[in-house]
Amino acid sequence: MNNILLLEDLPEIRTWLKVLINQVFPQSQIHEAARVHDALELVSAVKFNLALCDLGLPDGSGVDVVAALRESQPECQSVVVTIHDDDDHLFPALQAGAFGYLLKEQARELIAEQLKRMSQGEPPLSPSIARRVISHFAAQTRQQERPQNMPHVALTDRENEVLLRVAKGFTLPEIGVQLNLSRHTIADYVKQIYRKLNVSSRAEAALEAQRLGLFRRN
Amino acid sequence: MKGAEDLQPHIHLNRHCIKRTDPPDEGGAQSAPMSNPMSNPMGMQKHSATRISRGAAALLLVVLAWAAVLLAPATARAAAAVVTITSAQAAQATNDQFLGEQAPVPVTLPDDWSDSRPRFDGLVRYRVQFDRPPGVEPNELLALGIDRVCSNVEVFLNGQRIYSGGRMTEPVTRNCHYPQAVTLPSALLQERGNTLDLLVRGHALQRVATRQQAAGLSELRIGPQALIAERQASRTFWSVSAVQIVAILIGVLGIVMIALGWMSRQAAYFSYFGWLSLAWALMSLRVWWRDMPWDNGVIEFLFCTAFAPIVALAVQFLLSYADLRSRWIENALALQWVLLPVTLLLGGPSRLFGLASAWYVVLAIETFAVMALYLWVSWRHRRHDFWWMLAILGAACVLVVVELAVQYDVAGPPLLPLLQVGVPVLLLGIATRLLQVFARALQAAEASRNTLEARVREATAEVEHNFAQLAEMRVEQVTEKERKRIAADLHDDLGAKLLTIVHTSESERISTLAREALEEMRLSVRGLTGKPMRLADALADWRAETVLRLSQANIEADWRSPTEETEQLLPARSFVQTTRILREAVSNIIKHSGASHCKVRCAISDRQFGLTVQDNGKGIPMELDGKLDRGHGMASMKHRAKQMQGQCLMESGPGYGTVIRLTLPL
Repeated sequence: MNNILLLEDLPEIRTWLKVLINQVFPQSQIHEAARVHDALELVSAVKFNLALCDLGLPDGSGVDVVAALRESQPECQSVVVTIHDDDDHLFPALQAGAFGYLLKEQARELIAEQLKRMSQGEPPLSPSIARRVISHFAAQTRQQERPQNMPHVALTDRENEVLLRVAKGFTLPEIGVQLNLSRHTIADYVKQIYRKLNVSSRAEAALEAQRLGLFRRN
Repeated sequence: MKGAEDLQPHIHLNRHCIKRTDPPDEGGAQSAPMSNPMSNPMGMQKHSATRISRGAAALLLVVLAWAAVLLAPATARAAAAVVTITSAQAAQATNDQFLGEQAPVPVTLPDDWSDSRPRFDGLVRYRVQFDRPPGVEPNELLALGIDRVCSNVEVFLNGQRIYSGGRMTEPVTRNCHYPQAVTLPSALLQERGNTLDLLVRGHALQRVATRQQAAGLSELRIGPQALIAERQASRTFWSVSAVQIVAILIGVLGIVMIALGWMSRQAAYFSYFGWLSLAWALMSLRVWWRDMPWDNGVIEFLFCTAFAPIVALAVQFLLSYADLRSRWIENALALQWVLLPVTLLLGGPSRLFGLASAWYVVLAIETFAVMALYLWVSWRHRRHDFWWMLAILGAACVLVVVELAVQYDVAGPPLLPLLQVGVPVLLLGIATRLLQVFARALQAAEASRNTLEARVREATAEVEHNFAQLAEMRVEQVTEKERKRIAADLHDDLGAKLLTIVHTSESERISTLAREALEEMRLSVRGLTGKPMRLADALADWRAETVLRLSQANIEADWRSPTEETEQLLPARSFVQTTRILREAVSNIIKHSGASHCKVRCAISDRQFGLTVQDNGKGIPMELDGKLDRGHGMASMKHRAKQMQGQCLMESGPGYGTVIRLTLPL
């Protein structure tokens, strides 16, 4: 972890997070930003390995930075750090390409633990997020007017199985036991689910943009 | 017959012609095959009454009943002492000089000039001799009764002029429909050998439009003044007053119908009918208006001409009433209107009768044809109208046929103006029907208006309902937006500050409190903004959180909830409160119980939802007052349950673990 982007507008929290990141990734260089505008400038200048983005910022939403990173630096892991725990806020960030989320008020040790797991490829997945993902893909499947060149992103049966169980309230370790799968395999499924969510969301966004363009032309 | 033998020697000139009107003779006269029904007035009245009554006119029935009452006693008394004179000496006269230059010749009364002096147009003097009728009191006032004299008469008794019916020169007073009753002054009257001269002004048949206007003189009756006057009065009623009454009736009716037609443009037949009635009422003026300011030729021409528009209106009425319309027929009728007067003018006054009679046939045929057409259409499409109109039109046909028969001298002339009384009565019948139809249409319109109103009310209610829904939605949207704004503000301001406290406070206790406050805030916001969620989803969220927390605390979690899908919804507030209760319970287990195992059970029924959390820890210690320790947040858990109309029960004892039972209504 060489370059880490830290996007946070509250100075105290930023300082606190910086200390925390330094503990988890001692060798890293942290680039701080308090505004979306500054973060985007950093993104165009620096190649990041990890980005911690707050959502509610004075000049916009951290989702834009997540999307920009996803676009220009696909190998960078974006994690949303937020005070909002509701999926109305989290889901758009996940669609934009975030790999996981941290709730700011959690204890230092807990955040450090989660951050470590995420960097190792074990993103979290709550039941409500799982339900949103399920309904997202269900809506995608229903769309008939998908253009031919649009990639059709579908979940595998295993991925679906994992999603359904998460949605029912089972924890990832429990599902691992139920499906007789290792902790890493389950984590891979979840990563795949996030990745596909991002891809299909971008396809959807492109389709939407195309549609709006058509309307404007008429 | 002794009386009759006594009477005979007193009559000088026409002993064979004067007969005593005994009751048996009167009866015989009614049934006798006399060529002239003029001598048969009662029979004629009954006959016409029977016909007209076919028109089902209640009005006429009433009048008839009245007439019967009126006539019956008169007839009985008239039998007593009235002599009927059926012959006279007659000669044409050019001036007042009696008999003029021609010698008088005997004539039989009634005397129709068309038979006795064809084409003669002018004055004729009739002379009869009579004695005072026997059986009459010597001082009884006598009178002369003439059923019909056309057009006018002056009466002389023993050389003295005692009566004049009006003007004897053009324009001649038209008395054809007026029975005459002339009082014979006692001073001029002798016991025997009275000479009665009648100077009659008449028009040749050829110069009039209908046979009723042709010159003639009926039988003469001499008898007590009271009897004669009464008889003539009742005859006047039928031949004049009845016509006037029905004319006024249909005149008024016509105006009403015209008004109706003017108001409802679609129903043109009202207008046609109105004008038809009005025209007929005007035409019947000829019957009772004696002193018209024109001479005979003009009046007769106008009268005959009037038939063209009347027939046109009748035709148009029937067609329009049958919902038919033909430009062709309309044009033909208009043409006829012009053609009829033109032919009459071309023919001249001396050919009026012949031309008029021919036209009558043409007009009658037209009328019959349209009636047949109407009845056919009516039978096909409007059966409810058929029978009523069949009766009326049938009666009208009979009237027209009788009138034509009279005109062509197939039947003797009736004393009554049949057509002038009968047609208005039939028009009244049709009007009744029209008004009935109109009333029904009005009712139907009223009903449809009510239906429309009801529909408008429904539509209005629907619009109002939709509007209310829209307004409600709008209110919801605004509320939602406002709640989101409050939530955002809470997160941005309060949340940020609490967060800062969490991560900057030196004291672990304060940062824990701040963290809890933040969680509380978050739940409150969710309760504020959240939508109802599926109970199954809520259970999944609770399970994930509970199992995660317990496992992180190394406590074995055993969560069992119904596996079948339920669609029941949980309000956001209930979700939030239950989350708090459950969170508190789990926190208690982790912090205080020292348990190694935790069992959670869920039960869902239609009405309620139950959650049981049981641990195998050391239990909650009792306080002095016998209640469970408040430090464990038991009171707030109970309070929250109460807020949701549910309850939260706790059972605990040292060494027995704790059971928390939460029950919520759905």
